[in-house]
Amino acid sequence: MKRKLHPATARLGIIAIALFVWEVAARRFGDPLFMSPPSRVLVAIFQLAHEKEILAAVALTCWELLVAFALSVIMGLVLGLIVGLNRFTRGSMYPVILLLYATPQAMILPLFVLTFGIGTASKIAFGVSHGIFPVMLTVAAGVQNIPPILLTSARSMGANRRQILASVIFPHMIPSFFTGLRLGMTAVLFGVLLAELYVSQSGIGHFTTEFTQTFQPQNLFALVAVLAAIAVTLNELCRWAESRFSRWHA
Amino acid sequence: MNSSRLAQRLVQLGFLGAVVLAWYLTTMQGHINPLLLPPLGSVYREFVSLLETGQFWPDLRTTLYELAIAFLLAAGAGTLIGYTVSRSGYAIKVFDPLFAGLYAIPTILLFPLYVLFFGIGPASKIAMGATIAFFPVVLHTTSGLSYVKEAYVTAARSMGASPRQMFWNVMLPAAFPVLLTGLRMGLILAFLSILGTETIASFSGLGHQIVELGENMDTAKMFAYIVFVICIAFLLNAAVSFAEARGQRDLA
Amino acid sequence: MTETTPAIRVEGVTQAYGAEGDPRRVVALQNASLSIAPGELVALIGPSGCGKSTLLHLMGGLAAPTTGQVWIDGEPVRGPSPQKVAFVFQESALFPWRTVLENLKLGMDFQGVPKAQRDRRARESLHAVGLSDFTDHYPNQLSGGMKQRAQLARALVLKTDILLMDEPFAALDEQTRMVLGEDLSVLLARTGKTIVFVTHSLVEAVFLADRVAVFTARPGQIKNIISVDEAHPRSRSFMTSDKLGRLRNELYELLHDEIRKTMGLSKSEAAASGKPLAAVQEGEK
Repeated sequence: MKRKLHPATARLGIIAIALFVWEVAARRFGDPLFMSPPSRVLVAIFQLAHEKEILAAVALTCWELLVAFALSVIMGLVLGLIVGLNRFTRGSMYPVILLLYATPQAMILPLFVLTFGIGTASKIAFGVSHGIFPVMLTVAAGVQNIPPILLTSARSMGANRRQILASVIFPHMIPSFFTGLRLGMTAVLFGVLLAELYVSQSGIGHFTTEFTQTFQPQNLFALVAVLAAIAVTLNELCRWAESRFSRWHA
Repeated sequence: MNSSRLAQRLVQLGFLGAVVLAWYLTTMQGHINPLLLPPLGSVYREFVSLLETGQFWPDLRTTLYELAIAFLLAAGAGTLIGYTVSRSGYAIKVFDPLFAGLYAIPTILLFPLYVLFFGIGPASKIAMGATIAFFPVVLHTTSGLSYVKEAYVTAARSMGASPRQMFWNVMLPAAFPVLLTGLRMGLILAFLSILGTETIASFSGLGHQIVELGENMDTAKMFAYIVFVICIAFLLNAAVSFAEARGQRDLA
Repeated sequence: MTETTPAIRVEGVTQAYGAEGDPRRVVALQNASLSIAPGELVALIGPSGCGKSTLLHLMGGLAAPTTGQVWIDGEPVRGPSPQKVAFVFQESALFPWRTVLENLKLGMDFQGVPKAQRDRRARESLHAVGLSDFTDHYPNQLSGGMKQRAQLARALVLKTDILLMDEPFAALDEQTRMVLGEDLSVLLARTGKTIVFVTHSLVEAVFLADRVAVFTARPGQIKNIISVDEAHPRSRSFMTSDKLGRLRNELYELLHDEIRKTMGLSKSEAAASGKPLAAVQEGEK
């Protein structure tokens, strides 16, 4: 049997082939108004990296992402604990939260902008509005589904309510929390970026509009590529955190 | 209904009631600019008028059309590719992490590229919806078909099942719930992204309509449309749940 | 005296994973030879990871041995033999998306039984195991014991001469095991099938089998074969007899050291590989 390539190598090979095909196709058939080969995009990335305005825009977007994420996590954690720990609030609020979660927030984006303005506040608010739900729901779930046997055994050893909360319930919830963190990051990315693309004075949305309307595909591709790289990095961090803190989980 | 259930229901109704009351009071007093938060009454009137005149049809048609095409593209490509990849353990090891990695990229970033390429007509929305919906479908199809419990496959083999019998009678039914989950996720994501992208750059569709009304400061009507879209989302979810339950029943 | 063809014959069978010289090579089964006469009931017993399930899979043609040969009815085994061999597994291999009756019919579909016969045969088989009232239930609506009865029914409906059972009662509590064991003995006395079953229970092995093959720790070899000279169906009095007690004790003596040895192997393997002990033991099954 022929030795096959290591899967990672095969993947790199596929990506390389795809880039090659893109390069050739763009040069041969691509209209330079709409399409740009990867080589030119790479050059554009370097050029844009020297432009102060672009750097500032990317930095601003990162700032929006991180603030929205932090707020989502903190608020999500607190609300999730409140909802999850008390049987009453759980029964009453959970369906409400799920209902809110199910509504397509994308179309109330104009409302957010009307309320918070066209600056960074609306981007952060929209991001939080998306990111808070996964965190809240996973924390609430993590606090609920503790195997009753663990609680029984803790009580049999004399633990009081506070001890049970701190030493049994809270640690048990941690893996769910980190899963919520990862899902929250994805949601925040969606919210903030969507808001940026809708209307932006000085964030990246401003430049994506400019590059689209002035038909500069290489710059547009470059900007998108850089943002994609940032987004993937953030996602990977969350995924690493999730696996790191869930080692004991089944 | 026992007392705690009743109490929970009351809290939920109370929540709804409080929202309605707050809305009513703040708009009554004129504390808030009616252009920002219109009075409940006018929103209701606009909503009724919307339903009566049927003005929503052109936009609804556009949005649903975009959704249908996007979903069909994503479902078709996703199941086909997912099936092909699941045939070989090696292919799974190569492609699954690749798809999972691509899924991590916020697909919304591609939208400016699609607008550049396809313009602001339905095509860019469809491309966006299809791209975003593709990934959950392909990932779930691959995993569903490859993680069939070994005991089932061994048992079928020991009874002399042919590869064809194995696929139709064992693998597909076993993978069905996972497949369905993937399709469901794809549909919901496609719907959300289409609404969102219509908001950003479009000349038709429900999302666009809402933005336009907002820009024209016709906020009462905008709220009416928002309520309308929420109803549509609710109906869509219900339809999907129904189809899912029906599918499970028919297969079993 | 003419020699009858053995129903199952295994000669010098070794099953190894990994290439020769590879330090990670695992020899599950070593040089096993066994000859089983038609209508015999043979139990395979031994510590975890000693290759008993492997031998069963080899007999049924679900895997090919690294060296050695397997014959069924004098024919060399080259793959699954659904016409001759039926399996009952420890894990529930009933398809959860079909009812009990449909599960049996699907089995016959795989084997190639004409459609017209399927319904009647399925119902007869379910009646034989006492599940007539549950034909239209789904597996997840059945208890553990009922699921195993259903699996047995599915194996029986295929009307093979040979039945291979891999720890069929392992997931059941002792009381259910006892009842099912007695029922099995009665059923088999009636049908005269050749049966090989793998078990961890010493009493179950002695109670049900004509001969018990005892395996060593990994690499598994057949250490000893004990004969239980007792007519079928086995009765309640046999269960409480001195004879059974003696044979059980004999098995215990043979097995005790092998089990200890396997535990020691597991512990050192876990320590060396950093895997949790449970995972190592799971992997040995």
